[in-house]
Amino acid sequence: MTVIAKETLIGKRVPKLDAPPKVSGEARYLQDIELPGMLFGKILRTDRVHARILNIDVSAAKALPGVHAVITAADTPNVPLGIGRDNPPLKGDKVRCIRDEIAAVAAETEEIAEEALRLIKIEYEDLPAVFDPAESLKEGAPVIHDKHPDNIPFTFEYSHGDISEGEKESDVILEEKVKLHYVTHCCMGVSGIIANFDSEGNLVVYSQTQIPFMYKKDISPVIGVPPEKIHVIQPVIGGAFGSKLDIYPFEPICIFLARVSRRPVKMVFTREEELVASPTRQPVELTIRGGAKKDGTLTFREVHTVHDNGGYTSWGATTPFVIMQTVSSLYRVPHCLYKTTVVYTNNPYSGSFRGYGNLQATYAVETHMDKLAEALGIDPLEFRLRNAQEEGETTPQGMRFHTCGFRDCLTTAAEKSGFREKHPAYKSGQEGPVKRGVGIASLLHVGGGAKIYRTDGCGTMLKVDDFGKVTVMTGSTDIGQGSETVIAQFVAEELGLPIGSISVINNDSEITPWDVGVHASRTTFIAGKSAQLAARKARMKLLKVASEKFDLAPGQLDLRGGQVVRAEDGEALMDLGKLIRSLHFSTKNDIVMTSEYYEPPSMMQDKEFKGDVSATYAFGTQVVELEVDTETGVVRILRVTAAHDVGRVINQMGIEGQVEGGIVMGIGYATTENLVVENGKVMNPSFRDYKLITAPEVPEIDMTFIETMDKEGPAGAKGIGEAPAICISAAIANALYNATGVRFYELPLTPEKVLRRLREAGGNGA
Amino acid sequence: MHDIKRYLVPDSLDEAVRAAAEGDVTFLAGGTDLMPQTRTGARSFSSTLINLKQVPELRGVSRENGGIRLGALTTVTDVLNDVVLRKAAPVLSQAADHFASDQVRNSATIGGNICNASPAGDMIIPLLLLGAVVELASWNGEAVGTRTMPLEEFFTGPGKTQREPGEILTAIRFPVPGEGFTARFVKFGTRPALDISVVSVGIAGVKENGTLRRVRAAFGAVAPVPVRGRNTEAALEGKLLTSDTIRQASEATQEDISPISDVRASAWYRRELVRTLTTRILNDVSTS
Ligand SMILES: Cc1cc2nc3c(=O)[nH]c(=O)nc-3n(C[C@H](O)[C@H](O)[C@H](O)COP(=O)(O)OP(=O)(O)OC[C@H]3O[C@@H](n4cnc5c(N)ncnc54)[C@H](O)[C@@H]3O)c2cc1C
Repeated sequence: MTVIAKETLIGKRVPKLDAPPKVSGEARYLQDIELPGMLFGKILRTDRVHARILNIDVSAAKALPGVHAVITAADTPNVPLGIGRDNPPLKGDKVRCIRDEIAAVAAETEEIAEEALRLIKIEYEDLPAVFDPAESLKEGAPVIHDKHPDNIPFTFEYSHGDISEGEKESDVILEEKVKLHYVTHCCMGVSGIIANFDSEGNLVVYSQTQIPFMYKKDISPVIGVPPEKIHVIQPVIGGAFGSKLDIYPFEPICIFLARVSRRPVKMVFTREEELVASPTRQPVELTIRGGAKKDGTLTFREVHTVHDNGGYTSWGATTPFVIMQTVSSLYRVPHCLYKTTVVYTNNPYSGSFRGYGNLQATYAVETHMDKLAEALGIDPLEFRLRNAQEEGETTPQGMRFHTCGFRDCLTTAAEKSGFREKHPAYKSGQEGPVKRGVGIASLLHVGGGAKIYRTDGCGTMLKVDDFGKVTVMTGSTDIGQGSETVIAQFVAEELGLPIGSISVINNDSEITPWDVGVHASRTTFIAGKSAQLAARKARMKLLKVASEKFDLAPGQLDLRGGQVVRAEDGEALMDLGKLIRSLHFSTKNDIVMTSEYYEPPSMMQDKEFKGDVSATYAFGTQVVELEVDTETGVVRILRVTAAHDVGRVINQMGIEGQVEGGIVMGIGYATTENLVVENGKVMNPSFRDYKLITAPEVPEIDMTFIETMDKEGPAGAKGIGEAPAICISAAIANALYNATGVRFYELPLTPEKVLRRLREAGGNGA
Repeated sequence: MHDIKRYLVPDSLDEAVRAAAEGDVTFLAGGTDLMPQTRTGARSFSSTLINLKQVPELRGVSRENGGIRLGALTTVTDVLNDVVLRKAAPVLSQAADHFASDQVRNSATIGGNICNASPAGDMIIPLLLLGAVVELASWNGEAVGTRTMPLEEFFTGPGKTQREPGEILTAIRFPVPGEGFTARFVKFGTRPALDISVVSVGIAGVKENGTLRRVRAAFGAVAPVPVRGRNTEAALEGKLLTSDTIRQASEATQEDISPISDVRASAWYRRELVRTLTTRILNDVSTS
C-alpha cells in the first residue's frame, strides 16, 4: 500500500514561477517581440508648457526615405482619453504640458523615425502658463481647458459627525500643512506597445496594460475600433506599480500609425521619455487640523488637500478616494471633514501609483498623530493604541473590519524594535553631530479589492488534462508581483498536485475570462479566490467520479500528490490522469473543465463616499530607526521593523519580497526620489539625477506577519501589494523628530533639505 | 551617430596623432562620458571617430625616475587594483573606490576623466593633491611632439581644457610622495553608491610634529573647474593643527570656491558641505 501524506503549499516559500525564465532570459518582454514587416514609431513631444499650435509642417518628414507614416491630430478622430476625457492623443490646437504629443512617425528603423521627427516644424504662440495650483485658482489665471474655466476638474467632499462638536471637546488642537512631491514609477521595463491590424481589420495590441479588458472598452472610442475587434496580448511586463492602469496617448498613437502604414508598429520609450512622459505620483498639499482630549482620545480631524493635476486628468485625480479612507478610518475619529480641490496646471500629470494617494494621506495623518501625542504628553505608541480600530467595528465611512490586526501590528512592531525604550532615550538628547531616532507609523488600506465599478470580480477557467496537468486561465495580470505563483498555489492545494503541474495563462484577452484589472491590491484576494473556487469545483467533480469508482463517499476521498487517495489513511487509489481519462475513454463523454466568476461581498460607495468598498482591510505598522548627521543632513536608515496584518501568508517568499520592495520604494519616496519639475519642465530625466535607492541604502528589514485569517479571503489571505510602501515616510519623519526635535513638512528628505530645515528650525522648532 | 564618417582604431601613437592631425576628430576611450553626452545631444561627434583603446603607448602604470606614470587608458578599475599605486598613492585608490559602479569603472579611463574636464571629475582632485602633470602628444609635421603641463593649469572651464583639438593626452605623471605625506579625499554624493559628486574635498600635506607643511587642498564640483584651495592652504601651512587652525582653514575654503545651484544641490549647500567636510578631514588628520 502506498500512503500519501497530506501536504500543503500554503504559507511555504514557493519560488516565483516566472523567476527561471526571467533569470535565464527566456521571458519575452514587449521589447523582445518582432513581427514581420514591423515599423518603429516615435512621438514628437512639445518643448513648450502652454502654447497654441499655429502650424505643423510634416512635409519634410514625409519625404524622408524609410518613413511610412507621419500623423498629426488632423489625421485622427481626435477623441480625448482619460477619466476626464480631456486628453486628445495628438494635440492639434494647443499644448498644456511638457510631454504633449504633437506628431508621430512610423519608419523602417528607429534612427529614421528620430530623423523624421527632427524634420517636423511647428509654430507656436506661447500662452501664459501656471505651475502653482494656488495661482491656478486665482481669478484671471490662465485657463488650461476651456471646459473648466476655473481650472478645477474635480472636487471631493466627505464628512461624518460635526467638526464644531469635536472642537468643543478638544483639549488640544493642532494644525499642520505638508507638501508632497512628484515621483515616478521607474519600472525596469520602459513603456511600449506593438499594434497590428489583420486583413479583416481586427486589431492586435501587444500591451503592458494592467487592465486588459477595460483597456478594450476604454480605447475603443478613441481609436474608432469596436471592442470586439480588439485583441490584447500582454507579453511579460517589466513592472507597472499602477503606471499601466490607464491608457496614455502613445497607445492610440501607435495604433493610428499601424492603421495608416498598414504595418505592425512598435513603440518603446527611451528612459528619458519614460521619466518625462509617464505618469507620476500626484503632488499634494495637505492641511490637517485635528484635536484630542487629555486622555488621548481623538476628537475630530479636518483635512483639506489641493492636488496639482497637471495638464490633463488621469487616475491621479481620483486618489482622494483613498486619502479619505485613511483620514476617516485609520483611527477612530468621531468628527471628520475632508475636502479636496483638484487643480489644472501646466505641469506633468499624474496617474495611479502603488498606494494611490495613501502615501500622501498617511504622511499627513501619522506625522500629525505624533505631534498630538507630544502635545498631550502621551507616548506615541500609547496614543495610537488608544485610538486604533478593532475587529468588528464599522467606521463612520462604512468600512467593516471583520478582522483587524491593527493593535497586534502596533505592539509587535514596537516590541521587536525596542520602540518603547529607544524613543524616550533618544529624545532626551544625544552628544555629537550624528543622532539616532526611532519613529512609528501605521496604515490602513483596502485588502479585498475595491468596488469602484459595479463589479470587482475576476473570472477563472480551469482545465485538468488527461495526464493531470492543470491549465488555469485567469483574467488577472501578473505585473511582477507574483500573482501567477499564488494562483497556482491555490489550485495545487485544492487538487493535491505539485506546483509544477499547474500552468497559469494570464496574458491573452481572447483566452482568459474577464477581470477588472490589477489594482487596489486585489489580485491574490480576488483572482486567487476565483482560482481557488474554480479548482474546488474541479476537485468536487473528480472526487465524485472517484467515489463511484471506489464506492466511497466524496468526503472519504482526497486528492494528494497527483493521486486519488482514501482520506482516512492516505492510501493511493488511482492516478489522477487515469481517473480523468476514464471520463472520455468511455461512454461518460466528459472532461474536467470548470469556471468561476468570483465577486467579493463589497459594495460601491454612495454619493457621500460611504460604504464597505472592500471585502477586507489590511493594516500595518512600521518602526524606523535611523541616524542623521546634523552637519550634512545625511539620513541613514538603520532598521525597519514591520508588522503587517496580511490575513494569512500564502507564499512566504513572495510576501517578503512585496514587503521589502514596498519598504524600499517608500524609502525612495521619503528620502531620495524626486522628479524635479521647474516651470513645468522635468529637470532630471535620467537615473543619474533621479535617484533611486540602491543596495547600500537598503536597511535591515525585520518583518512579522499578523495572521488574522480573513474569513472571506482565499485561505484567509488579505491583499498586501500596496501596503508596505504606505507608512514608511511618516515613520522616517517621526524618527527624525525623535532624533533632532525638528518636524519635517516636505518630502523628500534629501540631505540638503534636512540640513536646511535643521538650520531654519535651529534645533528647537516643531 | 549619423555624423560619423570615419572610424579609426590606430594601433600606435604615431598613427593616432597623424590621423588626428587631419582635423575634425573625436577621441573615444571608455566612452562613459562620450556616449551619454552624444546620446542626449549635449555634444555631437566630429566626422572622424578615433578609438584610442588599441594604442599601446597609452596603457600601463609604471614607476620611472622617482615618479609614477599612468597611461591615459588606465581604467578606474586598474587604479583600484594596482598594488604600486595603493602603496604609493592610496588617496587615488580611495577615489577610485568611490567612483561610479564596477561596470563603469571597468570602462572609464583616467585620461577620459581628465579630458572630460567635469568640475566633478573624481580622479582629478587626488591627482591635484599629488602634484600631477599631464603629458600631451600631437603631430608636429614630422614626428610625434609632446608637451607637459601641471594638471591644475590644464582646465579652463566646464568641459574645457588647454588640449588642442588634435592633441592626445598620453599620460599623467606625479612624483612619489615622500615620508610623512598624508592625503585625504572625501566625495559627497546624496547617496553612497553610484553618484556624481555634489562636492568633493581633498587635503594633503606632510605632517610633522602636529603641523602640516607643503599643504595642498583641492575641491571638486564647487567651481567651473576642479580648483586648488590656495586660501585654505595658506590657513594651514606650517601651523599647528589646533581647533582654531582647523576652524580658520574651514572658513578659508569659502574664499576658494564659487559653487552654483543646480539640480543636484544649491550653492548654499555646497558651501556648507565644503566647510563641514574640511573640518572633519582636518580633525581626522590631527588625531591620526
Ligand atoms: C553611470 C555613470 C557614473 C559615473 N560616475 C562617475 C563618478 O562617480 N565620478 C566621475 O568622476 N565620473 C563619473 N562618470 C563619468 C565618466 O565615467 C568618467 O568621467 C570617466 O573617467 C570618463 O572616461 P572615459 O574613458 O569613459 O572617457 P570617454 O567618454 O571615452 O571620453 C571623455 C572625453 O575625453 C576625451 N578623451 C578621452 N581620452 C582621451 C585622450 N587620451 N586624449 C584626448 N582626449 C581624450 C573624449 O574625446 C571625450 O571628450 C560616470 C559616468 C557614468 C555613465
